Amino acid sequence: MSPELAAPRRRRSLSVHIVGQNAGLLLVFAMLAAAVALYCLFYWMQQRSFPGNFELTSTVDNTMPLAMAAIGQTIVVLTRGLDLSVGGIIDLTNALAAVHMQDSLGSMLGWTVLVLLAGAALGFLNGLLVGVGRLQPIVVTLATLSIFQGLAIRVLPQPGGAIPPGYTALLVNMNQPWALLYLVLCAGLWLAFRRSAIGVAIIAVGNDEAAARANGINVVRSRVIAYTLSGVFAAAAGLFLAATATAGDATSGNGFTLSSIVAVVLGGVNLFGGRGSAIGAMAGGFVTTMIVNILFFSRIDPLYQSFYEGLFLIIAVVVGGGIGRMLRRRR
Amino acid sequence: MARGSSALARLRLGRDRRRTLYALAAAAMLFVLGEIVHPGFASLDSLEAVLTVASFVGLVAAGQTFVVLIGGIDLSVPWILNGAAILLVTSSLGQNERAPYAVALTLAMGAGVGMLNGLGVAFLDVPAVVITLAMNGIMEGLTLGLSGGLTCQACASYAPPIVQQAVHRQILGAPAELYLWLAVIIIVSFVLGRTRFGRHTYAIGNNLRASYLAGISVRFTTVMLYALSGLFSALAGILLVGFGGQASLGMGAPYLFQSIAAVVIGGVYILGGRGSYIGAAAGAASLTALVSVLLAMNMPDYGRSIIYGVVILVLLLLYGREESER
Repeated sequence: MSPELAAPRRRRSLSVHIVGQNAGLLLVFAMLAAAVALYCLFYWMQQRSFPGNFELTSTVDNTMPLAMAAIGQTIVVLTRGLDLSVGGIIDLTNALAAVHMQDSLGSMLGWTVLVLLAGAALGFLNGLLVGVGRLQPIVVTLATLSIFQGLAIRVLPQPGGAIPPGYTALLVNMNQPWALLYLVLCAGLWLAFRRSAIGVAIIAVGNDEAAARANGINVVRSRVIAYTLSGVFAAAAGLFLAATATAGDATSGNGFTLSSIVAVVLGGVNLFGGRGSAIGAMAGGFVTTMIVNILFFSRIDPLYQSFYEGLFLIIAVVVGGGIGRMLRRRR
Repeated sequence: MARGSSALARLRLGRDRRRTLYALAAAAMLFVLGEIVHPGFASLDSLEAVLTVASFVGLVAAGQTFVVLIGGIDLSVPWILNGAAILLVTSSLGQNERAPYAVALTLAMGAGVGMLNGLGVAFLDVPAVVITLAMNGIMEGLTLGLSGGLTCQACASYAPPIVQQAVHRQILGAPAELYLWLAVIIIVSFVLGRTRFGRHTYAIGNNLRASYLAGISVRFTTVMLYALSGLFSALAGILLVGFGGQASLGMGAPYLFQSIAAVVIGGVYILGGRGSYIGAAAGAASLTALVSVLLAMNMPDYGRSIIYGVVILVLLLLYGREESER
């Protein structure tokens, strides 16, 4: 850890320094490029044509919930925490939206705000327990995961409810990849957040809690805000999930706890805190979707899907970690 | 520090014992509560049934205790367990004469997969959460793929009668499974409390760097602990097949949450270094008792899920308060 903290005496090559600092981000985009190229290759071998607008749109629409969840997870992981309740928050917010949203502009806007607030409240609870209660994030969010999942089934016992078509068109237009705009918006928000006081505080807490406290950062407040933001983004994921499915399912969010961690890891965010970018995590989410697409087109038995995903995760972490370390050492 | 260390050690021992007692007292209280809401709940038969169900959680929790004691976690439990269950029936085909080989093969598979987890943690510096998560996916894919989604001919086999007997046979009025669990409790407690390996485990959990400098083979111990966790998941898978007769897909899913919950309820410190297996075993018993009481009260699934979470949070807050006294 310490070599990174020591200021470079001789600024022999700034470019190597920048590459070393952003190794995770560069790697995930390299992975994404490789995955897209491989996907195009397999697609061409099967269809004798290249994927077009339809494939792009469906890939983006299918990845939106994961990309949102990954942003939230990133913010928590930056504080050296982990939010396992992401899946539960997605379940609950997804169910709330599907049960209550009506086909009118007022209802759609109102419930969007309410659902995001609900996500904030759930995340705030996690934040209080971790920050003020000084409990371990893994067990706290494992417990709240169970609670949120229970509440979600209480809200929507059977898959059902309905999302107005207008809302689906607004969030995930099925014809054009308009959802990319939300990603650009989130990337912009992230860049601003990273430079804001609270963003810096969150990263500082993850890097070295004692040093952050000594420098006057309110550690508890930073933690609470990080978990609250994670709740908000998980709620956004729930909304996107409901919009793509056009209905609700109180268990459809369960898988996102693990896949958001996978996206964050692929995105080069350090699980030990203080290092990483939400943009990388979003790209990591796209890599996981692309892997599923590639497996589909390469005619691999879908039963083996988890096997390849697990294998890829290990390879990505080992290779990514190795390259990152090498680059930083060479500085 | 040196001055107060012996007093501190005594206090810590006292606290660990106290937590074990809390977990046991919680189980006892739940039986009393169950008897009130559902007369006959605290009968010997029902106690036996609850403990038998708890034993499967308890066995997985043994493995989880090992890795949590060094500050790790094993998320690969569900599909090691499920894969073990399916491997047992497909390799034994329900025949007694094949059973010893099948059991040995299955246990070796569990230990081997666990060892891979350990190698990843110890040598590749991959966080435990990531490697065991990935390993869970790998085992899921392999289990589903190789068994054709549990459609293979051998997949419908029953567990060999001898394995079923190992769970069900009544010895002195209690099922053999409970004796087996008792044996595991004694052995694991002995290993953790009385052997060099156990002391190394606690040392690594308390301070990895100091343990390394003190000459403890941190990597070897880490690999062994993850291998043990895989071994116990596989053992639970074998016994669950013996209990239910046949393997099914998803049978391992509940055991991840429950094993971690049992470890937490039992007072094992999630960052490592403190806690005992007796505590985790008591945690498994009280968790299962809680589920049984809720079932007896006709609590719907969602209510159980909520109460599960709340109980763990309350215990965490109680224990956390003690932690800050340190």
